[in-house]
Amino acid sequence: MASSSSSGLTFKLHPLVIVNISDHYTRVKSQLNLPPSLTSTSSAATSNNNNNNSNGGENNQQKPPRVYGCVIGVQRGRTVEIFNSFELIYDPSTRSLDRSFLEKKQELYKKVFPHFYVLGWYSTGSDAQESDMHFHKALMDINESPLYVLLNPAINPAQKDLPVTIYESELHVIDGVPQLIFVRSSYTIETVEAERISVDHVAHLKPSGGSAATQLAAQLTGIHSAIKMLNSRIRVVHQYLVGMQKGDIPCESSLLRQVSSLLRRLPAIESEKFQDDLLMEYKDTLLITYLAMFTNCSSTMNELVDKFNTAYDRHSRRGGRTAFI
Amino acid sequence: MEIEEKQAEVIDHFVKQVSAQKGSALGSVFVEATSHPSLFAFSEILAVPTVAELEGTDNSVHLEMLRLFAHGTWSDYKRNSGKFPQLVPDQVLKLKQLTVLTLAETKKVLSYDQLMRELDVTNVRELEDFLINDCMYAGLVRGKLDQLQRYFEVQFAAGRDLRPGQLGSMIQTLSNWLATSDNLLVTIQDKIKWADTMSELDKKHRKELEDRVMEVKKAVSVKEGWSCEREFFNSSKNA
Repeated sequence: MASSSSSGLTFKLHPLVIVNISDHYTRVKSQLNLPPSLTSTSSAATSNNNNNNSNGGENNQQKPPRVYGCVIGVQRGRTVEIFNSFELIYDPSTRSLDRSFLEKKQELYKKVFPHFYVLGWYSTGSDAQESDMHFHKALMDINESPLYVLLNPAINPAQKDLPVTIYESELHVIDGVPQLIFVRSSYTIETVEAERISVDHVAHLKPSGGSAATQLAAQLTGIHSAIKMLNSRIRVVHQYLVGMQKGDIPCESSLLRQVSSLLRRLPAIESEKFQDDLLMEYKDTLLITYLAMFTNCSSTMNELVDKFNTAYDRHSRRGGRTAFI
Repeated sequence: MEIEEKQAEVIDHFVKQVSAQKGSALGSVFVEATSHPSLFAFSEILAVPTVAELEGTDNSVHLEMLRLFAHGTWSDYKRNSGKFPQLVPDQVLKLKQLTVLTLAETKKVLSYDQLMRELDVTNVRELEDFLINDCMYAGLVRGKLDQLQRYFEVQFAAGRDLRPGQLGSMIQTLSNWLATSDNLLVTIQDKIKWADTMSELDKKHRKELEDRVMEVKKAVSVKEGWSCEREFFNSSKNA
């Protein structure tokens, strides 16, 4: 069902779409309010999807809900850019699509974004299924060749790339009968400045209003992970070169040239000017901190003296009805 | 990198030409290759077996010239100009560009005087024109020209063909880089732990202070109750 596409279209996906789909799925799943399972062993299985009906007797529906919706965007020539998405009401058992809702939503979006067209639809799950073809065909009257964006909500810590796949439909002749099947296509993620800021924000989720120390820790953690990634990439290049030296890998001069030009950029920061600037900034920061500390101390001292004077004021007002502590 | 991509097709073209011909015909192919404006890499051509056969024959001057373009500089050429055939102006330009690349290998900051010496250029204007037009616009180097201090600061320089011994030193540099970044990672982790510990200590300290303040407050309010009563006694006695 999922061979690679040959239509030659390039797809660009905006992160807003992915966030929308995952938000939709999370909302529906939490609203369904899956009942807690009664046996202890299946509590771990509850979080796993894909028909884990370990309690045969109970009516615990372990299968996660599938959500459906529409994706909209712009198609310029051979580039298809998916900007936004919205939800649709679809009942997979009766295969009925709420047309009026779809049309109303389309009209509303058309008013705000006049350039966006319905490019296809989305759903959640682990793989494209036969039943999806019906929805696909239903959308074909709006867009002759709709896209199918599939998000896999299962969290796989080993997976490095996004669990999003884009399928196109192609007409293949199978057993003498022309049939539409889904073929996978590759895509790239494209961001606008505003999206980049929000994605960055989500990536740096930390306890809000943290004290200075946690902010420092968060910033250092960011630098730490960046350097770790750099480290792993350099390690790969290093192993490649060692292999080339031993003769396991045939020498490829153009790569060697690129590596040598890269290494020529090191040492990146060793000049005297850098040291001078660094020391100057360091001293400035220390000076400011010192000054701030001074001000703090002197104001605390001032308060203390005032309190002392108020409390132990014996020289004025002797013998009055003041409270002696 | 863009230069490598631009060169890839040209390299393929010349490799095919070189493998198709033999002997003295290769000489003319070499001249063509070395004058080509976008070709700066010759090790692939050197690796073709028909080229290696030229070693020791009458046409070895052409092989030497190709090797000069792969690894040598303009001063090498001037010193041993007898060994090499005469170069056409295009080749002279190419060799000078490659010389700049070699100089950029060793130092990041190249002084104008050194550049003028190595490239046989007499005035600064010519030097800067050469650097800007022939090196930077060709994409070979990227950097800043400082005319007041007469320095050329190299930020990026394309790679030249590798001499056989350079691979070892490259691996050494890479392992040093790896070691430094590992140390840096460990240091950062220690700093993070330090920051967390310090914030813990700070919180504890604050809590202790608050507790003591509460205690003192309670003690004060109890004592005040006593002393107020005594006050009333005294005043009532006096009155």
